[in-house]
Amino acid sequence: MSHSYRAIGWNRQKRNYDLLVLSFIFVYLGIFIGLGAFIHPNATIETMLIRGLGTCALLMLHVILVIGPLCRLSSAFLPLLYNRRHLGVAMFFMALAHGGLSLFQFHGLGVLNPLVSLFISNLRYDSLSGFPFQPLGFLALLILFLMAATSHDFWLANLTAPVWKRLHMLVYVAYGLIMAHVALGVLQAETNPVLAVLVVIGVVMVMGLHLIAGARERPLDVEIATAGKEELIDVCSVNEIPEGRAHIATIYGERVAVFKHEGRVFALSNVCRHQNGPLGEGRIIDGCITCPWHGYQYLPETGMSPPPFTESVPVFNVEVRNGRVLVGGVRVESKK
Amino acid sequence: MHKDESSEFYIGYQPQGPAGIMRYVRLRLILLAATVISVAILLVYGQRPFADSFFDFGNLQDFEGYVIERPVPLLMVEKIGAPGSLPVRRDYVLVAEGKHGAESIINGFNGKKVRLRGTLIRRDGIEMIEIAGGSVQAIGSKSRSLSKEGGAVGKYILTGEIVDSKCYLGVMNPGQSKPHRECASLCIRGGIPPLFVVRDAAGRKLHLWLLSADGLPVNMDVLDFVAEPVEISGAVEKIDGKLYFLIDPVSISRLKM
Repeated sequence: MSHSYRAIGWNRQKRNYDLLVLSFIFVYLGIFIGLGAFIHPNATIETMLIRGLGTCALLMLHVILVIGPLCRLSSAFLPLLYNRRHLGVAMFFMALAHGGLSLFQFHGLGVLNPLVSLFISNLRYDSLSGFPFQPLGFLALLILFLMAATSHDFWLANLTAPVWKRLHMLVYVAYGLIMAHVALGVLQAETNPVLAVLVVIGVVMVMGLHLIAGARERPLDVEIATAGKEELIDVCSVNEIPEGRAHIATIYGERVAVFKHEGRVFALSNVCRHQNGPLGEGRIIDGCITCPWHGYQYLPETGMSPPPFTESVPVFNVEVRNGRVLVGGVRVESKK
Repeated sequence: MHKDESSEFYIGYQPQGPAGIMRYVRLRLILLAATVISVAILLVYGQRPFADSFFDFGNLQDFEGYVIERPVPLLMVEKIGAPGSLPVRRDYVLVAEGKHGAESIINGFNGKKVRLRGTLIRRDGIEMIEIAGGSVQAIGSKSRSLSKEGGAVGKYILTGEIVDSKCYLGVMNPGQSKPHRECASLCIRGGIPPLFVVRDAAGRKLHLWLLSADGLPVNMDVLDFVAEPVEISGAVEKIDGKLYFLIDPVSISRLKM
């Protein structure tokens, strides 16, 4: 949570997370380049670096993309989500090193500006087999740069969560460009099927987990039938809601989290102000609704974050009649 | 699903995560580590073997010989052989640093004996020198030219790949095929002599230097056809042991992949 901005709000788990990410990177590059130099003594170091950095970034991107759906399927994966932002920035630097080295290696020291050469040295844009794959990687790198550069709560607050979220959904465009970059580039030159098999496994895993997680989410979005916006809508029985936790229902196209705490019931937007995390999957800790993604907190009565924090989420009118929870369709903005 | 999911709740900024969740995550991280190591090993072994080429990067050597500007820039180096035998001759194709041909560096030295510094490049018996900038000096007044020993071989339709000779011979490895296309195009655009690599009926590689029908450079005319399978018709000539393919660039056609 924030009331001022620091470059990184370090804590023990973030440090452990980053150490782990760096360890994985060093192990991967160590094996790829060290074993590579032994198995392929004729390979040049630039080639091994370009390939090692590129495949490392690709592997990291797959891990990043599967963390989201895995967390939807099991909250036990949430520790991997907590600092995913740093994983994303580290992945960008791997991709940048791969792209920068490639740009120098293949387009530097020539008669053309390297960026001009990148786009005109192969003009077979009309052919699938001959299609220039390097500009695809360059465009993906631009997207990854935008994401890494805005990967901070300062940008999240200033761009607003919906815009920031949409911007960061471009990771799927980058992923598509990168897979095309791989398929139209190195896969056309290599003869060993292991590379193609690994790529297919990666794509199937990313797409499959997203589809499974999406299918599991769908019932939540089944809207409760309503007559008019003024009506209080029966969303569940009080007994269905565990103490300190929430029942999630969709009314008027919006997910609402109905929390039970110390004999009272509260209805708030299910969307955390921080990164649109699912508040209804959170808990009430120390009297505050706590988001499961990054621990942002809100007071159940007002939807306001406890001072000095300033975030807030909308709250809804709620009543209990005969053991049933009724939520007002008319949204009441959080009380400031 | 994690068995403690219903009772434990993870908050990242707390010093320690819940024991059950962290145990679950640690096991998954061990699996991830095994995946990372396996992928790295598979990708190392899955790469196509690298050509046996050589680029003596960082080791500048002195060379003395006669400069030949055409048809491809060469340095003819003669060394005294065993007593009673003819001098041993080795020809080095000349290129400049970066993605540049040697033409501007050796301009005016044709036939003259020079001393130059450069880096050795070698593959498949072909040797090349990347000349260090400003190192070419004329020494002596003797001059030499190519003997044109051999001459015309015949007209052929050949299939193969046009590569930039500098990368192919060792500066990059691999220095051919699709991932190298843009680099090959830029090198050839910069004056690096294009080489046509073909295989004969027995599967042996042949290397032919590409020239126009008049024996002039065709660099700008072959840019669209580098690093992919092509068919070209033209006349093969053999001069001092090297094969030259004199072509009309219009005859180049792509082979379907």
